[in-house]
Amino acid sequence: MTALVSRRDTFPLTITVLAFAFLGLFLLYPLLNVFSASFIDRSGTHFTLANYARMLSNSFYLGSLYNSLLLGVLSTLVTIVIGVPLAFCLARLPIPGKSALLALAALPLVLPSFIAAYSLVLLLGRAGIVSRFLRDIGIPFTSIYGMTGLTVTFALTLFPFVVFPTLAAFKAVDISVEEAGQNLGSSRWRTFWTVTVPIVMPAVLAGGLLVFIDVIESFGVPFVLAEDKPILAVEAYKLFVGETGGNPASAGVLGVLLIICTAAALLVQRYYLGRRRFSTAARRTPPELVVAPWLRRLAATYSWGIVLIALIPFFAVIVISFMEFRGPVMHPNLSLNNFRDLLNQSSRPLVNTLVLSTAAAVLAALIGVPIGYAITRFRSKASDLLDVIAMTPFAVAGTVLAIGLVISFNSGWLVLTGGWLILVLAWTVRKIPFNVRASAAILHQIDPSLEEASINLGVSPLMTFIRLTVPLMMGGVIGGIVLTWVTVASELSSTVVLYSGPWATMTIVMFQALEGTGAGIASAAATVLIAVTVLPVALVYRLLRRHELGMM
Amino acid sequence: MTAITIDHVSRSFGTVRAVDDVSLEIRDGEFFTLLGPSGCGKTTLLRTIAGFADLTAGQIRFGDRRIDTLPPHRRNTGMVFQNYAIFPNLTVGGNVAYGLKARSVPDGQMRERVSRALKLVHLDGYTERWPHQLSGGQLQRVAIARCLVIEPEVLLLDEPLSNLDAKLRVEMRAEIRQLQQQLKITAIYVTHDQEEALAMSDRIAVMRSGRLEQVASPQAIYRAPATPFVAEFMGTTNLLSGTIAGRDGETLRIQVGQQEFRAHGDGRQGETVTFSLRPETVRLLAPGESAPAGWSVLHTDLAHVEFLGAITRLDLAVGNGATLRVASLDVLPDELKARGRISAAYDPRRVTVFRNG
Repeated sequence: MTALVSRRDTFPLTITVLAFAFLGLFLLYPLLNVFSASFIDRSGTHFTLANYARMLSNSFYLGSLYNSLLLGVLSTLVTIVIGVPLAFCLARLPIPGKSALLALAALPLVLPSFIAAYSLVLLLGRAGIVSRFLRDIGIPFTSIYGMTGLTVTFALTLFPFVVFPTLAAFKAVDISVEEAGQNLGSSRWRTFWTVTVPIVMPAVLAGGLLVFIDVIESFGVPFVLAEDKPILAVEAYKLFVGETGGNPASAGVLGVLLIICTAAALLVQRYYLGRRRFSTAARRTPPELVVAPWLRRLAATYSWGIVLIALIPFFAVIVISFMEFRGPVMHPNLSLNNFRDLLNQSSRPLVNTLVLSTAAAVLAALIGVPIGYAITRFRSKASDLLDVIAMTPFAVAGTVLAIGLVISFNSGWLVLTGGWLILVLAWTVRKIPFNVRASAAILHQIDPSLEEASINLGVSPLMTFIRLTVPLMMGGVIGGIVLTWVTVASELSSTVVLYSGPWATMTIVMFQALEGTGAGIASAAATVLIAVTVLPVALVYRLLRRHELGMM
Repeated sequence: MTAITIDHVSRSFGTVRAVDDVSLEIRDGEFFTLLGPSGCGKTTLLRTIAGFADLTAGQIRFGDRRIDTLPPHRRNTGMVFQNYAIFPNLTVGGNVAYGLKARSVPDGQMRERVSRALKLVHLDGYTERWPHQLSGGQLQRVAIARCLVIEPEVLLLDEPLSNLDAKLRVEMRAEIRQLQQQLKITAIYVTHDQEEALAMSDRIAVMRSGRLEQVASPQAIYRAPATPFVAEFMGTTNLLSGTIAGRDGETLRIQVGQQEFRAHGDGRQGETVTFSLRPETVRLLAPGESAPAGWSVLHTDLAHVEFLGAITRLDLAVGNGATLRVASLDVLPDELKARGRISAAYDPRRVTVFRNG
């Protein structure tokens, strides 16, 4: 019953061919070039392992691999440690203002994490506001640069990755399973550890894996906070765009190492987690537990505490952006000077961000949704392969993809470097996995017999997709476009490699300000970015909710 | 006005032959039912006709026209789905008009045809309603109207009643049958419910593991099942095995344990055969009552009795641990228990003998 329509139909074939062409040209070909750059000697013709030998015998670059992995593991562990109890509180305990808390808890996922990192520098850096205050009152505090700062930032910005799947899992535990445990003579506490935790564990690990990959691929946060500690993604960037003219071979080696780390994590997910699915298809969602008042207060304090602390950096940077700066020194007077300076510089980056993000978000949906459709509705060997390839960008750091795109389209029959299109293409490719997964998830909610009914009534598969499936998917697709838009608007890792003169974005303005002394302009740019991210999300959240209520 | 020829059709999924070399002639205007347990291939066969499953081998023709080479949207079949498959984003009217729009029917004519189709399924006045405002039965009517409005050559129904409650199911099956008769449209109906099949069909094909077990009218399939599988699948029956002890004219004597059964049929002496005897054809004899002419009588012990109100169901011991299930109207268990030995009579012409091998 897998084939929706017969093999004679060209529609799924067309989708698959076009998708392969696009992903082949703008994903696989660039990646291939990164690989071959890392395996080719200086003369540019012979296969060699010398690049790897050189990089891995260099303690600095070997250190970057070690640091990245350590950071990934540490951040994942910390995230799980704070995320799982939070998920449990939200799932099973009465917390005041729970729906507001849930909405706020999702915010760090859409807010640009390097802004949180930058905010921490403003607050707790060497000359940070809080650092100076602490020193003034006699507490010896130097700064949060290095592993501590990085781990804290990642934990505070990525904890929702663990919280939401785990929360869903806690809710999906059929209460009768727990009751059965207790009925068989197990204490409440023992039941929790022997029944509930094993059921929830796959969700926790899946969330942890997302954190790990995100940390390994992150460019902005370590760029701001790592200081002299080498980190893979940052060093690959420095090697590639370095002042000494760039070294694609060495950058390629680091890029390949990055891909190996993330791909290994994904394989763990596929072959270890894939077999451990304990879905209990809850018929009865577990009720909120009745606990002592002090426990209830503790849970409420903890939950609200974590979520609010995670938002403090963003709040702080907004406040700082409205302060008056004279040179690098902040004065406690309200002022709009930073925004004036930001726009005086040029309004071009803001326009670039808005226009190019829109183009990428729409393009990613136009490509991702048909791929999602092909892989859910027309299963075949080709579509299985397409599924794997469409997920690949997930395991490729933005820096690495960007390096590949530059190597591939810097000369030859198709020159894209120096223009805006290469930014849009890079962002699109990076967001295809999300769009494919999101549209596949929506499609799983739509019974295939609806499409069969339409075809049976004489509407061709292509027209059925356009006239029936797309309208049915619309709510979800719009949500997906907005989320894509939001994450693309604050994309730094690929942008920083690919942008050129007139095509700088808001993230680049911030990035440049970080290196200079313009904390005022940087914080103003950060505020604009935060506004640009939060507003559409809030708007769509409301619209979709109303839409769904209307459909009820 | 379409007869359907299914000509040596096979459909495999990997190594599994879901439909295995099936040939059928479905007559013009016939209500034809594909009946069988889940996984027997009945739905797959229906889907090959609609075009949602490709043929591995064989041909399907509407009249003389070969249609299995056409894409599904060009076959002009009307399919009613198990879960209705009503488009949730369209009104009732929009759903019914959907296929007409694909055929570029002009507006005025479309409105008229939509309202005529809705009237046919007793939903006049529901044009502007939304699917979520309708009950399951009403949704099913919309689904039927949506198919009929495009005047398909063939109506395909895939377990359309299985999501309805028992009472509505009985009402709807009469309604669907009546509609089919009125329009004289060829209909293929898939179900696993033998009662539904018996009540609605002109002919029934019983399927098992992708093959046809028997194709016949409902009465023939019930009264004269071709195989033990059909006998058991169509309602309840007693399937007993025994050895042919001899023959009296047309009647075989079959020894089962200590009991001798009589049956019309073929067989050689000494041959082991299986036979079917339906519980409702066995009549309990009151003490002193004699059996009708030509009937056989058993004298046995009561092994088990179940009182179901209108019906009393009892198992009679026939030796070797085998029992004969009997359904009897209007008798009380206590009364039977008081009798001790039970006398039961049956007509040997109502016994179906299956020769093994």
